[in-house]
Amino acid sequence: MGAPSQEELEKRKRIQINAETVGNAASNDLPYHWPGENHEWNLDYFEKTFNVHFHTSTPYDSSFSLTGIDTSVANAFRRILLSEIPTLAIEDVFIYQNTSVIQDEVLAHRLGLIPLKASRRGLNWMKWYSKPTEDSEGSGAPSDYNCAILHLKAKCEWQEGGLQRAARGETDPDKLYVNHSIYARDLKWQAVGKQVEMFADGPIEAVNPDILIVKMRPGQEISLMMHAMKGIGQDHAKYSPVATASYRLLPTIDITKPILGADAKKFARCFPKGVIGLEAVTAEEAKKDPELSGKEGEIKAVVKDPMRDTVSRECLRHPEFKDKVKLGRVRDHFIFRVESTGQWESDDLFLESVRLLKVKCQRVRRGLDEMMK
Amino acid sequence: MSYTNPTGTAINTTTTTGGTTGGAGAGAVGSTAEDRARFVEYTCGDCDASVSLKRGEPIRCRQCGHRVLYKQRTSRMVQFEAR
Ligand SMILES: [Zn+2]
Repeated sequence: MGAPSQEELEKRKRIQINAETVGNAASNDLPYHWPGENHEWNLDYFEKTFNVHFHTSTPYDSSFSLTGIDTSVANAFRRILLSEIPTLAIEDVFIYQNTSVIQDEVLAHRLGLIPLKASRRGLNWMKWYSKPTEDSEGSGAPSDYNCAILHLKAKCEWQEGGLQRAARGETDPDKLYVNHSIYARDLKWQAVGKQVEMFADGPIEAVNPDILIVKMRPGQEISLMMHAMKGIGQDHAKYSPVATASYRLLPTIDITKPILGADAKKFARCFPKGVIGLEAVTAEEAKKDPELSGKEGEIKAVVKDPMRDTVSRECLRHPEFKDKVKLGRVRDHFIFRVESTGQWESDDLFLESVRLLKVKCQRVRRGLDEMMK
Repeated sequence: MSYTNPTGTAINTTTTTGGTTGGAGAGAVGSTAEDRARFVEYTCGDCDASVSLKRGEPIRCRQCGHRVLYKQRTSRMVQFEAR
């Protein structure tokens, strides 16, 4: 039995997207799957075939492809991104006064969900805080190395002459009241102890200063103190460092028989813009392909950018295309999209997820070593 | 969003008191010397003026004479978990 051809290898890792079903979805590059072939995991082979390619990279939004990696590992990165990278978020709210229309517990919940940012150095320096429970005493009282104190204090009042303007029919709150809208920028951080030094190059503040927390009217007042702690998304979604971290497999479109003329235009409309291009049949093609002979100069549908396809399968609904196209996905091509909430940079987040997976593997290895003793 | 007792200089657990309309005389429960000396701030239900009353005083707004007064919210600390 010889080594499988390149074509065969491509076919093996192609997921088939049919009109109603999905085929060949499970990984098959595993030991004992293909008779006479060795698919043992091999570092050299992995190094040769694995590839990372960035599509877009802005501080808080990046998209990149991982190719030549198993789903289990790619999915591990995604799950770690969502729920195991620590961030700082408001955990406790001490309300002294709240006469606004938002109830205390709802207000506390809102505050908890506000993404915070700060100096990377300071955040790395901060340690976990665990609450005392019946079983454990936790990490003790909150301290400068595991708790940041923030304050929010505001009172809404009439502007000079606002009452008279209201009586005359003015309704614009900007012209009537002061402090009628409280935003995330009004959260004030109070540096304590070593925080002054550690957060010298980036104070703790809201990532988006324009988040509206509450609206107030004259006489209403809010006065509260908050404790921000480090936690992970597993504990509560507010600690998740990403707005979304997801992947999809690279779509493939194989046109098996030429699609020409008006059909080509209709075919292009079955896909998002830019996926299918229209090109004229060249003289060379007309000579080579019997199906294209005499069709020189006619327009033909060609696959331009399958990555932009949403795999809607619309083309499979039309009988004229059904037997001319094969849709699929590449099983080991993961297009990641990581959107940070602002505490980390998107590309750092991915690297951190890799580091965390490595730490977990080392932990398992130590455990196994312990068992073998 | 669970409710937990206030910590720190633990004062007794307090719940909010809003919309207490003037019914029976103010401070009907408990009557220590301290209680009697203390003014309590209320808000008029009609003209929104602040009214401070002592125990036993008639429940009435000094500005407009309205007989419905609202007790103000406590300024004691209440602790919440932001979740
Ligand atoms: Zn009144």
